[in-house]
Amino acid sequence: MESPTRQLVRAFFRRPRAVVALFVLVALFAFVLIAPRFLPMNVNDTDVLGANIAPNFAMLRVPSSLAGNVKDINGFSNFTLGLDKEGKVYVWGYTKNPLSGIDLSLLPPALEGGAVQVAAGYDHAVAITPQGELVGWGNETQRQYPTDLSQIPGGHLDPARVSQLACGYQSTALVYEGKLYLWGNANAMLNMSALSEETARHTEETGVGVSQVALGSFNAVALYEDGTVASGGVLGKQSTAVSSRGGRVKNLAEYLREGRVIDVAATDNCFAFLMSDGEILVFGGGEHGESDIAAIPADDRAVKLLAGSRHFVALTEGGRTYAWGDNSGGQTEVNGRVASDVFVGAKQTYLVDAQGKLILKRGSRGYLFGTDNRGRDVFTRIAHGGKTTMTIGAVAVLVSSFIAIVIGCLSGYFGGWVDLLLMRVTEVFSAIPFLPFAMMLSYILSYYPIGETARMLLIMVILGLLSWTGLARIIRGQVLSEREKEFVLAARAMGVGERRIAFLHILPNVLSVILVSMTLDFAACLLTESSLSYLGFGVQQPRPTWGNMLGGANNSIVIQNYWWQWLFPALFLSVATISINMIGDTMRDVLDPKSSRSR
Amino acid sequence: MGQYIIKRLSYILLVFLLLSFLLFMIYHMLPVDKAAEKAREEVIANKTLNYEERYEYWKAEYGLNGTKVERYLRWLGLYPYQNGGYNGLLQGNLGTSTKYGESVIRVIREPMRNTVTINLIAAAAALGITIPLGIFCAVRRGSRRDAFIQVATIIGYSLPAFIIAIVFIWIFAVRLGWFPVSGMQTAGVTFTSSWHRLRDRLYHLALPLIVMTFCSLGGMTRYVRAAMTEALSLDCIRTARAKGLGRRTIVYSHAFRNALIPIVTLVISWLLGIFSGSLMIENIFSLDGIGRVYFEALQNKDNEIVLALQLFYVLIGLVGNLLIDVVYGMVDPRVRVSK
Repeated sequence: MESPTRQLVRAFFRRPRAVVALFVLVALFAFVLIAPRFLPMNVNDTDVLGANIAPNFAMLRVPSSLAGNVKDINGFSNFTLGLDKEGKVYVWGYTKNPLSGIDLSLLPPALEGGAVQVAAGYDHAVAITPQGELVGWGNETQRQYPTDLSQIPGGHLDPARVSQLACGYQSTALVYEGKLYLWGNANAMLNMSALSEETARHTEETGVGVSQVALGSFNAVALYEDGTVASGGVLGKQSTAVSSRGGRVKNLAEYLREGRVIDVAATDNCFAFLMSDGEILVFGGGEHGESDIAAIPADDRAVKLLAGSRHFVALTEGGRTYAWGDNSGGQTEVNGRVASDVFVGAKQTYLVDAQGKLILKRGSRGYLFGTDNRGRDVFTRIAHGGKTTMTIGAVAVLVSSFIAIVIGCLSGYFGGWVDLLLMRVTEVFSAIPFLPFAMMLSYILSYYPIGETARMLLIMVILGLLSWTGLARIIRGQVLSEREKEFVLAARAMGVGERRIAFLHILPNVLSVILVSMTLDFAACLLTESSLSYLGFGVQQPRPTWGNMLGGANNSIVIQNYWWQWLFPALFLSVATISINMIGDTMRDVLDPKSSRSR
Repeated sequence: MGQYIIKRLSYILLVFLLLSFLLFMIYHMLPVDKAAEKAREEVIANKTLNYEERYEYWKAEYGLNGTKVERYLRWLGLYPYQNGGYNGLLQGNLGTSTKYGESVIRVIREPMRNTVTINLIAAAAALGITIPLGIFCAVRRGSRRDAFIQVATIIGYSLPAFIIAIVFIWIFAVRLGWFPVSGMQTAGVTFTSSWHRLRDRLYHLALPLIVMTFCSLGGMTRYVRAAMTEALSLDCIRTARAKGLGRRTIVYSHAFRNALIPIVTLVISWLLGIFSGSLMIENIFSLDGIGRVYFEALQNKDNEIVLALQLFYVLIGLVGNLLIDVVYGMVDPRVRVSK
């Protein structure tokens, strides 16, 4: 003899569709509960340079023929250039922009004879050929790279005398015969003309040439041959910097002038200066830990500095590497490693031995689901957004079920004027159109300065308050038929209190109906929350939910070119609601005696 | 019957008054002061004016002085303004849009017409598909085709409208290029004949209509199927079968009439959803409908439009409930509404 509940459970598990749906739902729940713990997210963090990247894992995929004899590796944002000792140029990473159609992995024919120097920017790359030509490819709408070398005396380069070739966001810098040449988007490189003028004047007055340049996202600084710094206005009188010896250096410009700077490197918005005695000074924001300079042992000192978009790497005299800054892809996990040279991409670090063999590569491999329009990892946001969406849905269902149970039970059991009153109230609530009303309540909330958590709580309550009427009616009907049965009469005869009968004797009998309804309501609440958030009246950006992640997909450019930004959140949301509805539907089917008989 | 309707109508009026009072209070709790804004504008334009005096003047002009109840009655049109005139809901004044500077009625007239048209077409299309489909599923209950449609409809009603819209835009507008991505008509074109205008309009409305119809297929098919299944299991159907009536007669004449009762409810509630239901679609496709007006009013903080539309939505809901009950009684003679 089996209990009815066991029978129902058995009947449920006999349906393969429902079992699959249950499995999927449990997996989704596990994902949104567990994954956020392993995927830390800073909701306010944005990365413009890493925006709109398609799903790929190519960012750390160094070509195998390069890995044995590396001469140079250079990256500024989403793609990286490599140069081997034979002069062959390699490109890897995210090279194709779907909007402009530019594919940076298509090398220009001029590079067939190889290159001696390469540099990668945001949407362009440049290389110098053995013949002294400067070849650029990629986007050139902002004059990121020169089309001819008329500025340079003689009109072409002598590769042996090129000190440095570097790229910034949409700019190119060349240090040649002690002179600094800059090309590119002056709106993105704010001190471009100031720096050009400053170095030209200085060289003319003192005869000291430029030896090096470092390009960040918005500014550049240059280094002279005598170890002084040209900043083009970046370093003012009040500039301070964090020192590797601890504490802050008050007057950075003065301090740098007194010492001798041997190397300079720039992340997106920080500059690091390496002094001849091994001291490192970091100037700039440091939101990603750029100023938490790694501790280098006292018997060793840094001799070379490199920078990705958010991290610095130092190479010491003793041939060891130390890195600090953003570690989102593990790019700074190279402390104390032995290497004879080190290269960086935007979020990658590459260590190379004396023979040019790649011995270690660390950093971001790419993005499983790509990045959104602010450079945030879509996968991470789906995990966190799912947690928010599921939590809101679940709490809203609990709130609405609680109200429905109380009202349904009272109304059904007591009848009379209680029933009349409560049913009229239910009618009023069910007359309220859901989405417009929820939008209005959310809009009214926007007038009051409330915190994010309070807002989320209120959204849960609003959803709950507006969606209880259907269930309340069902419960009322069920209770109406249950209360006429003998066991209620028996309980009453035994002197059980009215409230006890309503909630403890009758309610358990209608529990299965409630359960089915709650399941289906859960899916409905997920949909409503997403719709609200999609329209901008639910949870607000930057906090993700599955609904507001789709809000950005409201135009054809995103729909067409950045499919990963809407497809994945849409997929997760749809799979969740479909599996919940499948489960609820099967439960209802199983509970319905008519339908289970026919199977 | 007549008595019943009057009873219900008076009840609706009561609820409407109650809700309108609540909503009015909510909106007047918001820190928006039209009079202060106007007075500030004036004082900035003309420095000689006294702010306090102008503020009082505009408060009186807008009817913002007095107690809350007085203001509410004024808004309803039951209490005079400073100048002794009545100008409220009963006089047909729903307020003035702050964004457009026009009366709310004028702002919503054209969008209202668009919304109703769009929804009627979508409703007709959806019913035309779902009723035969639902009947088919109920008759062939348990068959392979029925099982397939059941799964498809679960998926259909589990998908939110905006995801369906995005996917359809992606397939039909972006990939295939059959339809425009959004808008009501080709921008910047004046049409010589009304036929061309209509054709352009239909070309733009095709995709939203397809999406709207598609969105309602899942839920409605299931509903029709459930109603029809219920009807087919009635004793009268068994009797009809036993009498040897044709299958067609049983399904379409006997069973469908019994299934009609819940279907009528569905159709009416669907018609009521016309006004708020297409909110999402109108926003995605930038259609000039009532839902979009509401959405933009919320974004522009145009409170008087929001309040007017909100009350309109509530009224539609209340009247709809009554309509369902009355029609229920008409379709099903067993239900006596005149109790």
